[in-house]
Amino acid sequence: MRVALEQRFGPLAEWRSPRGLFTGLAALGLAVLVVLALTTDRFLTVENIKAILSSASIVGIMALGLTFITLIGSLVSLAIAATAVMGAMVFLAELHLGLVPALAISMAAGAAVTALQGLIIGAWGANPVILTIGAGFLLSGITTKASGGVIVQPAGGGYATLNSTPLGVPLGVYVMVVLALILQFVLKRTVLGRRVTLIGENREAARAAGMRIPRITAIAFAIAGASFALGGAFLGAFNKGASAQLEGTATFDVIAAVLVGGTLISGGRGSALRTLAGAIVIATISDLLLLRGFNTGAQILLKGVLVVVVVLATWVASRREGTA
Amino acid sequence: MTEVVGTPRLELCSLTKSFGAVRAVRGVSLAIAPGEIHGLCGHNGAGKSTLINMLAGNVAADAGEILLDGEPLSFAGPRDAQRAGIATVDQELSLVPTLTVAENIVLGQVGAGFLRHARHARRRAAELLAEVGLEDVDPDTAVDELSIGTRQLVEIARALGREARLLILDEPTATLTEVEIERVFRAVRGVAAQGCAVIFVSHRLGEVLGLCDRVTVMRDGERVLDAHVGELSPDALVEAILGEHLQPAPHRALDPRESTTALTVESLAIPGRLQGFSATLLGGRVYGLAGQVGAGASDVLRALAGLVPAATGRVRLGERRLPLGNAAAISACGVGFVSGDRKAEGLFISRSILENLTVAQLGRIARGGRIGGAAERRRGCELAEAAHVPTERLGEPVGVLSGGNQQKALLGRYLLHSGVEVLLVDEPTRGVDVGGRAAIHELLREAARQGQVVVFASSELDELLELGETIVTMRSGRVIGTYAEGTTREELLSDLTHREGAAA
Repeated sequence: MRVALEQRFGPLAEWRSPRGLFTGLAALGLAVLVVLALTTDRFLTVENIKAILSSASIVGIMALGLTFITLIGSLVSLAIAATAVMGAMVFLAELHLGLVPALAISMAAGAAVTALQGLIIGAWGANPVILTIGAGFLLSGITTKASGGVIVQPAGGGYATLNSTPLGVPLGVYVMVVLALILQFVLKRTVLGRRVTLIGENREAARAAGMRIPRITAIAFAIAGASFALGGAFLGAFNKGASAQLEGTATFDVIAAVLVGGTLISGGRGSALRTLAGAIVIATISDLLLLRGFNTGAQILLKGVLVVVVVLATWVASRREGTA
Repeated sequence: MTEVVGTPRLELCSLTKSFGAVRAVRGVSLAIAPGEIHGLCGHNGAGKSTLINMLAGNVAADAGEILLDGEPLSFAGPRDAQRAGIATVDQELSLVPTLTVAENIVLGQVGAGFLRHARHARRRAAELLAEVGLEDVDPDTAVDELSIGTRQLVEIARALGREARLLILDEPTATLTEVEIERVFRAVRGVAAQGCAVIFVSHRLGEVLGLCDRVTVMRDGERVLDAHVGELSPDALVEAILGEHLQPAPHRALDPRESTTALTVESLAIPGRLQGFSATLLGGRVYGLAGQVGAGASDVLRALAGLVPAATGRVRLGERRLPLGNAAAISACGVGFVSGDRKAEGLFISRSILENLTVAQLGRIARGGRIGGAAERRRGCELAEAAHVPTERLGEPVGVLSGGNQQKALLGRYLLHSGVEVLLVDEPTRGVDVGGRAAIHELLREAARQGQVVVFASSELDELLELGETIVTMRSGRVIGTYAEGTTREELLSDLTHREGAAA
């Protein structure tokens, strides 16, 4: 049996190697996507590709930031939606100052509240899931109270720029791609990125090597928070308003993009480009299902399956590598 | 060597187990009679745990046989071992703290029905508690109200309830007080008197000699000693554990050097682990802290590195006061620490050798915060050369290297004017072969020649005698002696082990 299989498919051991498993799964997934794409009406049109990218962009921007939290070994933030809503509200409310100042204030606010969570997690080893759930509720409460429960309207016209489509592509797509390149550079070619990755790989070793874990964790969270607020600003601009109920599933969409990209949930391995790919893959699948007439339930279901499969594969691959 | 009359309770025939390339247990044979208390000693990594795990059904042997009362056993899992009558009590207590003593005793018992019969359980628990001398404990007490020592006894009672034919105690006394230890011993003797065979694993040699009938010593996966305690002196036991193959090398005189670095330690203490350690440690010298596991030598290094938040005392490096408990700040003052557990706390095992070598020098290599280019590679090559790590493998994960090369890669981060003035190394050559060991010792001497204060902790006498210029002996968290002008094996042995129950 084994001999026959090996004659046909090559040595079985190769299929069982970690990289083999991962590459195999990725190739399989891609092949399924390509076949589906080629056989689906209206999929391969310029308009549809633009639609995919544009729907990936806002989730993608936030997911790029979340990658830092996951990489440093703090799992995920469950305050993403709440931070985005705050970012949207601050952005819209400060638009009377002009587009750039409003964006800067919004991102600074997102960075500040998220960095504070990172500091607590880094310094006292708080459980990131619990802490960010708490922070999410707190933020929701504050934004609901501050907005008086009504929709925050733009205080100026600058938001229209965020909805513009240079060369026919939404601005958010450009921002997502540029942000991915910048954050990829930060992760791979700067001292900060190296430290974030090493802390995620082995926190005890990082401590023994003298790294300032609270400070670096706070910086990683600040980057994430700024990107949540930036995504929120785009959402607010798109909806021309922001309420506390804005985009309820954002948190889980963003987490799914990071995980589907193949960033290890326990930290230490992953990249911004992977997350970019994850966001685009999810948007492509949603688009395919939509074109083929599946309902929202099916879309969410498939997203869930995809997350579980990729998380398991990533985990198995890292374990095999670790014991080899 | 074994003199068991009749069928032994437990017999091991050429038991063998490897993990990858590591041969953890190599052909161990052993026979234990009913009612015998058998001590099992050896360094960490000598193969004791693997042997115990095979008996407990946690890992399967590669080859060899386990016979219980003459019948060959094979376990698919721990439950099979338990069913066969092998009960294990280890240091990590397995009682459920929120349940009562009675509930814990019946919990997981083979044959315990789905429905728990409370009254029956309580009666059974009371009987078993009496057998281990806990008549005064109410079976309805919640376990988390009991002291650690009492919990240990409850564990033994639970093992009895499973009608154990073989009781394995894996370092049961590590966290107990003297009084509690005495109670555990009384219970163990009682259990043995009823015919149950007992395997007692401990690092505390005095306890082994005081409690056991016979002792097995393991080293490098092999059984190197099997003797009645009556025929065994404490020194012979220590020698068997440490191994004799390396005679103390003569002190190699270091080059004269000038260093003004001085680390002044005043009353360094950790509640419950370390009492009042004071010393002035000078640049250009290699200091060895001698001590068995738990003696406090490692604790001194960890506290100096800022890794023990509870540490108190005054430590100054030159004029600067080191903030105890703040590892990052201490590291920034020029103190480098190499953990004794290089996988858990030293290396970033799946990252490249290069990244592991440059991790403590990133700030110096970076140009405007940027790294990962030619500058980092060049520095990595220099460090690899200095540490004698193969330079052509810099891009590979550090985990693929041998133990010796991993240790060199770990030390490498503190070499070559890295800004480190004090180098703290815990067990510098644990799990390192003889060749790697000589190279690592030379690296540490070289660091001293560069003017660094080098302090290492070791439980290995040969290493202390070879490498340490000044040797400080420690036991039970206290300094016993300081030898600045050389010392002998006998002096060290006497400081480290004597009068810890052996004389009683």
